[in-house]
Amino acid sequence: MNPSFKFLLAVLIALEISFTSTWIVNLALAVIGLLLILTSRPTFKRLILLFFVPLIPASALAVAILLQSNAGVHFALVLFTRIYAYVFVGSAATLTTTVSDLVMSLEQNTHIPSKFAYGFLGAFNLLPKIVSEVNIIRAAGNMRGQALHVWSPQLYFKAILASLDWSENLAEAMTSHGFSEEAPRTYFKQIRVRWWDWLVLLGSLVLLQVALFGFHLQ
Amino acid sequence: MATIAVNHLSFSYPTEDGQNPLTLNDLSATFPSGGFSLLTGPSGSGKSTLMKIISGLYPKFSGVITAGEVRLNDTKISDIPESDRGQLVAMMFQNPNQQFAMDTVERELIFALENQQVAPNHMMARVDRALDYVEITDLRHRQLNSLSGGEKQKVALAVIIAMRADTILLDEPFASVDPVARQLLLSKLSRLQREEHKTILISDHDLEDYDQYIDHLFILNGTGDSLTLLDQTAAQQKMAAFQRQDTSNKQLQLPATTDQAVIAAHQLTLTAGNATLLKQPAINFFKHHITLLTGANGTGKSTLLLAISKLHQYAGSLLLNQNEVAKMHRKQLYQQVALIFQDADQQFLNVTVAEELALSLKNSQQPAYFKDRIPGFLKQLHLEQLQEHVVYTLSGGQKKKLQILEMLIMATPVELFDEPFTGLDFTSLQTVMAIMKTVAHDCQQTMVIVSHQLFGLDALVDYHVTLKDRQLQYVGGLA
Repeated sequence: MNPSFKFLLAVLIALEISFTSTWIVNLALAVIGLLLILTSRPTFKRLILLFFVPLIPASALAVAILLQSNAGVHFALVLFTRIYAYVFVGSAATLTTTVSDLVMSLEQNTHIPSKFAYGFLGAFNLLPKIVSEVNIIRAAGNMRGQALHVWSPQLYFKAILASLDWSENLAEAMTSHGFSEEAPRTYFKQIRVRWWDWLVLLGSLVLLQVALFGFHLQ
Repeated sequence: MATIAVNHLSFSYPTEDGQNPLTLNDLSATFPSGGFSLLTGPSGSGKSTLMKIISGLYPKFSGVITAGEVRLNDTKISDIPESDRGQLVAMMFQNPNQQFAMDTVERELIFALENQQVAPNHMMARVDRALDYVEITDLRHRQLNSLSGGEKQKVALAVIIAMRADTILLDEPFASVDPVARQLLLSKLSRLQREEHKTILISDHDLEDYDQYIDHLFILNGTGDSLTLLDQTAAQQKMAAFQRQDTSNKQLQLPATTDQAVIAAHQLTLTAGNATLLKQPAINFFKHHITLLTGANGTGKSTLLLAISKLHQYAGSLLLNQNEVAKMHRKQLYQQVALIFQDADQQFLNVTVAEELALSLKNSQQPAYFKDRIPGFLKQLHLEQLQEHVVYTLSGGQKKKLQILEMLIMATPVELFDEPFTGLDFTSLQTVMAIMKTVAHDCQQTMVIVSHQLFGLDALVDYHVTLKDRQLQYVGGLA
């Protein structure tokens, strides 16, 4: 499915279930999300994390509702399943799409300015560098007899300085490789919107309405 | 083919108090079309600034042109639309880490071609050819972050070739490139000039190896107010002074059996990504000695220094004064070992030169020794006038000198230097080596130095270790 459509669908589903209270639909969405996640062949560790990390807010919410309010078991169940639906639907979108595909789709299909698209991609590619940079800054501090703790302003000063420096270098690098904000570009990998992207998007939304309405009537 | 004409150019980086000190002052020169020109000058003279103005990056990203202009084929640089500029002029940067926007080699090349609006069905052929030209087809799908400095510069050249830029600017491109890769890049550039009539302008403070390739030698003086083309004889003389010193007959001692090991490795394995860089049954680095570590690009020299500094994981055993590095507490470790990073910016913690020096002196292990000597060292390194300057605004060479000095002041018993001599002009290089030698002796330090540049090093180092085929080995020769 087209990456932009996929993310739009995930956001719309999340919005919709925020305002409805049908736990079966939440559960069904979580299951569909999980099936989609499984198609991306995630590592076992990631699966475990996906199950256990939402467990904390989900159970906290459910327990709070059960103990503190008189909204009842049904509402607690709705909130519990809603958290899982959010996480699994969201993960199904992110785990089955690469960042570069998403950025290319946003640039080509939704026509966001290429400056933002590549700025975002450049920043994303810098993430692992930022982690190692923070380690290096702390080591550089220790080597000069200055311990930099997580709360030391100097650590952040250096990290921000490094990012500013990188962002300027990135901008220069992009310019020197022919990138210009306004100019048209060609695309090696063309990301198209096909008829079945519309079908999946609209079809899923219609199905969701039918399901929500159906269960609501019961 | 393109002629670069610089007409009465003055350029300034405005300061915060509203002044416009001129970095370049009334420069004029013509870099001939289809020629291979070399631009040289001392560290901090403004070579990088001039290159970035010619490439059109400045004043867009920094500074202002206060007078004059640069013309490319009779068109003012600022009048050439950015989207057409790539085909006219492309630039390779001094710092290999900071010239890519994408994650892999192939994607970076495609990104550049997309910007030039090359038709998608022509892209692969151009990518193939560019990679083949620079002989890096095997790097195609590699992550750019995982490449060594020399490999990155080869990729940068491949991008320029794919973009088919008419004029190729290279700003001290070989600072972190080993001699073999440097020769390869130079011969490729020369071929581009001869066969495809590209105009090539390269800046470097080190003139070794250039004489057989270049047509013109330009000199920018230390204050940035004179840019001159040397005539044939003057150029020959200047180059001759830089003839590669024959280092092959320089002999060094092998470690003596009485030497005491300060760093000891056993069954040490270092990896980067999927590649095994080092598999070493045993090796020692010796106390109170200066050891030179050499090896081709990407063989893992920097990685070894990072591992000793607990900044890269290793398998096996790596002992520092009989303590396993991986198990040592950071604070305790860094009182015994300090790494002088390849990238000087990573070393700095404060804003101005004076603050940097003050911090080092405050926490030095030998403050009494350095207290009176610092002004002398600053004078020798020509840094005494720069004390109030922001460290990040210094030139590449000045940063390097400050970085080395402030780390020497720390007087840490073991100091590891990762390419300390990059960006240093000839005089600075000799001063820096003399200071390192004095301090190492007086403060009884142990040093390990990774360097591609070997000129004059026989006077500084005691031992030489080479890294080849994943093995470290002590050798007697310097070359």
